[in-house]
Order: sequence, then C-alpha cells, then structure tokens
Amino acid sequence: MTSRESAGKTKVQSAARSAGHTARQPRAAAASAAVETFTPQIETEIAGIRFQNPVWTASGTFGYAKEFAHLIDLDQLGAVCVKGISADPMEGNPEPRIYETASGMLNAIGLQNVGAKRFLSEKLPFLRTLKTRVVVNVFAYSTEDYVRCIEILNEGEGIAAYELNISCPNTRAGGIVYGSDPRLTEEVVAAAKKAARYPVFVKLSPNVADITVFARASENAGADAITLINTFIGMAIDIETCTPRISNVTAGLSGPAIKPLALRMVYQAARAVKIPVIGIGGIASAEDALEFIIAGARAVQVGTANLYDPGTSLRIVEGILDFCRRKRRHLSDLVGSLKVPVKKA
Amino acid sequence: MPMHDDIVAILENRPLTGGHYLLSLDAPRQASAVRPGQFAMLRILGRSDVLLRRPMSIFNLMATDGRRGWGPRRAPQLRVTGSKSRPGQAPRIMQLLYKTVGRGTRLIAELKKGDKVGLLAPLGHGFFEEEYLPQAREADEILHVAGGIGIAALLLPAKRLAEMGFKQRLFFGARTKADLVGTAEFKPLVRATLLATENGSAGYHGYVTHPLEEYLAAHTKKKFLLMACGPGPMLRATVELAKSFRHPCLVSMENRMGCGLGACLGCCVRVHSEGHEAYQRVCTEGPVFWAEKIVWK
Repeated sequence: MTSRESAGKTKVQSAARSAGHTARQPRAAAASAAVETFTPQIETEIAGIRFQNPVWTASGTFGYAKEFAHLIDLDQLGAVCVKGISADPMEGNPEPRIYETASGMLNAIGLQNVGAKRFLSEKLPFLRTLKTRVVVNVFAYSTEDYVRCIEILNEGEGIAAYELNISCPNTRAGGIVYGSDPRLTEEVVAAAKKAARYPVFVKLSPNVADITVFARASENAGADAITLINTFIGMAIDIETCTPRISNVTAGLSGPAIKPLALRMVYQAARAVKIPVIGIGGIASAEDALEFIIAGARAVQVGTANLYDPGTSLRIVEGILDFCRRKRRHLSDLVGSLKVPVKKA
Repeated sequence: MPMHDDIVAILENRPLTGGHYLLSLDAPRQASAVRPGQFAMLRILGRSDVLLRRPMSIFNLMATDGRRGWGPRRAPQLRVTGSKSRPGQAPRIMQLLYKTVGRGTRLIAELKKGDKVGLLAPLGHGFFEEEYLPQAREADEILHVAGGIGIAALLLPAKRLAEMGFKQRLFFGARTKADLVGTAEFKPLVRATLLATENGSAGYHGYVTHPLEEYLAAHTKKKFLLMACGPGPMLRATVELAKSFRHPCLVSMENRMGCGLGACLGCCVRVHSEGHEAYQRVCTEGPVFWAEKIVWK
C-alpha cells in the first residue's frame, strides 16, 4: 500500500468515526426495521388494468421499444407507450426536426409512423413478447380517422390501452384543433371510446388556458384516464441566417425545462377529475416522478430522458421502490398525498 | 447490434489546430465492436442544461499493452471487427475527432484527462463491406473525399481497405490550413493526398471538388469508388461529379440527433425508397448511404 492510499483510507475511517455517534443509531434502527420486511407495493391499476409499476416510457421517445432492447431490460418497465400511430403511414416533416434548448429540446418530427396496419404486422409481435404493457398512442386529423385507426388496431391482441393524442402541436393541420377546443375534445373522445376495444387514455395539450376544462371534457366523454402533458409549443431562431431552427418553424418543447409547468397542470387536473391521471413532463429522476405521484398521478411517463439516458426509467423504478421502503408506504398511499397548507381567512 | 452505453474515462483531449480536438477514450467494450464508418454518441455528464448526446464519427481505434502506454508514436495494433485476425490485442481506445461548433462541443473541449463521459457506441451501420466490396474490387482506385471534419468518418474505412490491399487516394478540402486535421493518419494508407483550402493557405486554392473533377476528367478510362463525408454543398458537388463520370459513390451523412438509436426520428433525411420518396434515419439506416439514394436538395 502506498503512503497516499493509506492516508486516504485513514481519512475516510476518521470521518466515519466522527459521524458515528449521530449516524450509527438511526442506521441500526433502520436495519432492525428492515428485518420486519416491509415490501412496498408499486403496482398500479388504471381502467382495470394492472401495471407492474408506475413508470412508463412516453410516446415518441421510445420508438417501438425494440430500439432499446440492447440497452435496458424492457420487461422491467411499467408500460411502453409506442410512437403515435395513424390509420395510414405518415412520412413526417422535412429536416431539421430537432434542436436542443436549455434543459430541453424542441421537436417537430411530424408524426412519422408506419401506420396502423404495419404496426400490427411489424411492431406489435415484438412488443407482445415483453412482460411490459403496451399502450398504443393514436392520432388523426379527423374524428373519422381516429375511429378508423382504432378499428384497425382493435384487430391486434395484447394492447393494454389506447392513448389518444389530441394535442400534438407539430403538424400544421393537426390535432391542435381537438386539444384546444373542449367540444372537439369531447367529440373525439366519445367517438374513440365508442369504437375502442381497449380502454382509452386521453393525452392532453398544455397549450390551453385552463387544463381542468379539458380534463373534465375528457372525463365527461368517457375517457378511462388522462395523460398530461404533451409538449409546449416553442421556437428557436438561428440569428446568423435569420431562419427558424426547425423546418416546421414552431416545435414541441420537452425535457426538464417544462417540469414545473407540467407538475402544476397535473396537480390541477388531478383535483378536477375522478379518473386516473398519468403524469408526464420533464421527468428525469425518481424525485421528479415522486413529485408527480404526490401531486396526484397514478403513473408517470419518462420522455426526453430516454433519448439521452435510456437507463433513466429503470432507475426511477428503483428509486420509487427505495423511497417507498424508506417511508414505509405503498405507491397507492403516495398518490395525491400532497399536503397543501390551509390559508387562514 | 453490440452497442454499449457506458461511463468511460478520457485518456486525452488533445487540442489540434483550428478548434479541433482529438478525444481518446478508454472504451474497450465499444472499441472492440466498431465497424468502419460507425459513429458514437457522447454525453456530457452532470449538466442539467445540456442534455442530448453529441454524435461524432469514430475516427480511430487503438490498442494498448498497459505497460508502454499508448499513443500515436507507438505503432497502433489495429484490428477492426470483421478483418482477418492479426497479432495483437483488440482495440480498447476509441478516438473521436471533433470541432468545436456549439455549446455542446465547447463543453466537451473543456474536459480533461481522467474526466468521465457517457459513451453510446458503436452506432449506425457504417460502410458495410458486403455492400461496397463488389464496386471496390471493380475500381482501379478508391477515392476518399473529405470536407472539413468529415475526414473523421473516413479513416477507419481507409484502414480497412488498406488492409485488404486496395489502392486509395484522399481529396481533403477545408476552409483553412488549420482545418486540415487528421492527414498524418491517412498518409500510410493512400497513394497520394490532395489538399485544398478555401483561402489558399494550403494546397489547392478553392473547393476540393475542383481538383477532384480534374482528376476524374484526366482518368476517364479508370474506374473509381468514391467515399465522401463533409458539409452538404461539398457532398452534393461530389455526388454530381460521381454521377456525371459514372462512378459509384458512398456518402456518410451528418445531422442533428436526439437518441442515435432510431427511436426519436429526429435525424431523418429524404431518400428514394422503393420507387417513392421517404424519410430515413441517419442514425440507423445510415450514416452511410449510396449517393443516389439521397434526395439532394
């Protein structure tokens, strides 16, 4: 052992010794508590479907799951929300489609996808081999096409639920109309619900004045749950060329930059409806996920973080388990457990 | 697909001329799995403002014996996956050649020996030998055409082709002399290197595609296979030359990327596919395409 190593070790030992008086007692208590074996329950149930944990991967950030098969154990995810599917294939927007901004990113992919039929024949067979639930994100530009897409997907086995994208701000003629008008929201949710063989979750747009109006509209139309939020409409400009950074000019902002906004909306929506709320927006750690759960989300989705750190979702599952063990609480005890200070009159 | 996502240590982050750096990473899992033409996604750790990984060509691979250290002065014991086994070890050092162009690369340039980065690699399908070897065998010479930092995508393919005994020539253009980095590594692999700079500070004064055109025009009886990587206008000009002189041409495309895994569809380019136009992912269907596949704007 070199003198440098031994010096380092001594330092660590003495630090541990000095902390010992205060730290050792609680640690001993925790150890004996662990002997009593509290096993936290982090399964979550939405629309009668059991999900093994509340951490899902968000649509558009996880492809059709197979892209990540070499990097993480897909079976450990709560659910995979696949890339948005339309009745017919979509080719998407011209490049550039993405641009990084501070603590976030802009994207205007333009909903490129293989279409419902090829999804069933090419993508679903692999997804069905997973233990993980499969949520199929659905979008269209008319109520008839939403219904048509769902009718095609109804032929598929092993789908846990549909997630209705009524909020994607990327396509000029697109879903924004549905997601920003409560009557249109009700119309499309009711039509989808009527056509769907599987439960229908509605993914809400944050680009509205009052999210609770759209949460309630979805609930009134029969939605089994609401997912919120989709991306905020944003923009970036290249000052050298005076051109937009994204070919579509405007684009959806995601990532940690939007987390406080998303959390506020989840909190508001969870208080406005009785149906389950699935929280999404900038979640990148177990702490982030727990904030959404405490605000009222029964499950959460990880989006942008999948792109830069595919291990995030599984670390969040572990982090939630650790938190539940430490607090001796099941997940269901945490959902909506926010304590709001009562204002004095 | 043997890609790996690891936290790896920086062995050296050597500044070169013109804001270029040669980043050497201790990455045995990634280095030993590389096929020429593939790329890496580099993640800056511990930053909440810069999140996305930066895509970079895998410039070079090196082995180390752990005793004599490593470095360009020591003859590298290269063994690229797929090549005939050679004496020596599998590579464990991955070298990325990059230029500081924005916030991300400027932060990477600040990293020092011993610092850690996230490395997701190798990615993309690279230069698939089974796809280009017939054309390479028919060709009298392989012409590498590099523009600026595009040089970084061409060294490993050139090494692989040199191993197989192909005759090669490099056309390398950049803005200034300071931007002509990485030429030393090419020297033993090619019969000749033709340099060009836009300001005339080294080699031919002008775009590299001009001497390329002269060369093609002077050797119309010869068959060539072109491999090109560089900025859009330079690639387009190269592809047009290849087309008009009827030589096959492979291009390594660059684009902004989100994930590098084919999930986000952020890096798609317009291609001809099955009789119509479509978008394909640079990270997955590319980064290397046959030139005629790309819809050039």
